[in-house]
Amino acid sequence: MNLDNGQSLTVGGQDLTRNGSSSGSSSRYPWEDAKKVMKPSTPTRKPQPPKPENAITIAVSSRVLFNMEKEQQIYEQQGMEEYIRYQVEHESEPFGPGPAFSFVKALEAVNARLRELYPESEELFDVVLMTNNHAYVGLRLINTINHHQLFIERFCMTGGNSPIGYLKAYHTNLYLSADPGKVREALEEGIAAATMFTQEKMKEVSDTQLRVAFDGDAVLFSDESERIYKAHGLDKFFEHEKAHENKPLDHGPLKGFLEALGKLQKRFYGKGQRMDCPIRTYLVTARSAASSGTRALKTLRSWGLEIDEALFLAGAPKGPMLEKIRPHIFFDDQMFHVEGAAEMGTVACHVPYGIAQKVSRKAGKEPSAPK
Amino acid sequence: MASSCYGDALIRRIKEKASKWIYRNPVPGPDGTHLNHHLPKSGLRKKDADAVVVAVTSDAVFDPGADEGDAFRVGLAFPLLQALQRVNERLLEQNPSESLLFDIILITTSSQRQQQSSQIMRSTRHHGLEVGRFCFSSEDNFLESLLENNVQLFLSTDRNETSQASQRGVLSALLDQRAASSPSEQLRVLFCGDTVVQPNAAGPMSTIQHDAQSFPAQLGKMRQRFGMLDSPLVIILMVSQGGRDSCSSALQVLRSCGVGVDEAYCLAGAPQSPILSLLHPHFLLSDDFGELEE
Repeated sequence: MNLDNGQSLTVGGQDLTRNGSSSGSSSRYPWEDAKKVMKPSTPTRKPQPPKPENAITIAVSSRVLFNMEKEQQIYEQQGMEEYIRYQVEHESEPFGPGPAFSFVKALEAVNARLRELYPESEELFDVVLMTNNHAYVGLRLINTINHHQLFIERFCMTGGNSPIGYLKAYHTNLYLSADPGKVREALEEGIAAATMFTQEKMKEVSDTQLRVAFDGDAVLFSDESERIYKAHGLDKFFEHEKAHENKPLDHGPLKGFLEALGKLQKRFYGKGQRMDCPIRTYLVTARSAASSGTRALKTLRSWGLEIDEALFLAGAPKGPMLEKIRPHIFFDDQMFHVEGAAEMGTVACHVPYGIAQKVSRKAGKEPSAPK
Repeated sequence: MASSCYGDALIRRIKEKASKWIYRNPVPGPDGTHLNHHLPKSGLRKKDADAVVVAVTSDAVFDPGADEGDAFRVGLAFPLLQALQRVNERLLEQNPSESLLFDIILITTSSQRQQQSSQIMRSTRHHGLEVGRFCFSSEDNFLESLLENNVQLFLSTDRNETSQASQRGVLSALLDQRAASSPSEQLRVLFCGDTVVQPNAAGPMSTIQHDAQSFPAQLGKMRQRFGMLDSPLVIILMVSQGGRDSCSSALQVLRSCGVGVDEAYCLAGAPQSPILSLLHPHFLLSDDFGELEE
């Protein structure tokens, strides 16, 4: 960092670059004193993370796992150097939970159950912290992970470089980020991805059962039917769906993730735990049960995928229904539905895929992650 | 054959201030070393003390196989040398009287190359490489040359050579094909975190915590000359076996030596090569250099 020639970065008055031999103060490192403020991490035997190709890898960015609103503001208003300085200065203060936090906690609960049933198996969730952040923020992030007792052991702090290559290297099954640009890039590379937002309201969710809700068109399925609706209206849409009822829809970006969840569910069914399964999936679609919904269900069946509950809202708002379900995460391609869900406290994320994006692109600058 | 080290234009960077130095045919001194006698001794000494001496073997810089007529073809360390030069250029841009610079030595480590001194010097100029000094040594005495020239980092494509140098206490790194595809505009140095935290007693990384003048400490100081963005020098940490605790310790150890890390990757046992192929480091600093998986 160039803070005038030769001037070094200080942390709480202590010289960051001081080397061990010239120490004049009692503690060797400034953060040793600060660490006493934090909750000590309980020394439990840590299970070894699974090999990426065997696991279901969920990559989350730092801003969706934790609440970094204040820091993001500093970055946007005062620039990178100030942002880094602030982060380092507050290194011992853990961040609060972000929108993906309860989802990650629920993944861990599923893992605990899987390990009980299959102690040798590597078919588990593996959460990787995938952030554009500079490694100077690394210690604060690790301290926060310790504080909240999360089980994340793998991360990439790319210091500004694109995460896409690393997503592939980790065989990522799902990528969650606050940066819509990166999410779109991931989708283009065939990786399931969604944009998450900081929400004021986040209703309490189960800590024993992971609940994942999906929209149908342009999320699980392709956007082909949505295109017809947008071009020719509702009547033509119904006609088309009825006529093609037995022709499976093409797959959408999140189909693979539903498939992965289904595989894990079967691991529980195999041990007689269908009623008590810690994973539950939902389809929450604007299609109607009477007509257009049939094609959706038949498509899922043709893929060999099960969904626990299918909710056909026939165009009604999704917020109230989701509020009853209390999923840890809800995926939709339309911001209208994402916002509606979020208003009622459901953690909703946006899948920027398909025709809905071209028709209703939000105006204005999209803030990017600190590089 | 005794080794001869040419004090070539380390002072090229201050050529605006100095009159033309005769560096192409230096006058041999009484002890056989070739220094540029026209230099004001005190000036050279002051600047030398701050310089970070990096020695690279000629077989790494020039393709041992081919030669295009007069000059050798460049080898896999070419982007590395360009990146080292780039760091020096940027440092001088910021501060024309900067003394913390890379002092690059091109060293031969075989009698065969030792006898190709003029061709090597010619090739260096042909490719626009800024080498501070040449050391024409053989396999028998290159280690002495490294020590005599206070080399802080020795880079070679030969595992045998790096091993020998390391045993004599010279921090060494093995160069491989990865270096060839690394950028020429940004020097990317990778610290392997597992040995930062638990260094082998005999290995070079064990010195990292004790030596304020060590290469890592100097590198850290250099990095501090630049801002967060657009730095020509980037320091990367990779922890391959350990998890976040190892990563945390490694970050703290490096920081205590004045080394701020830009990018950090913690693998916790995941395969290394997919990640390494994305990092494009010019070289890796580790006690187990060369033991990383292919």
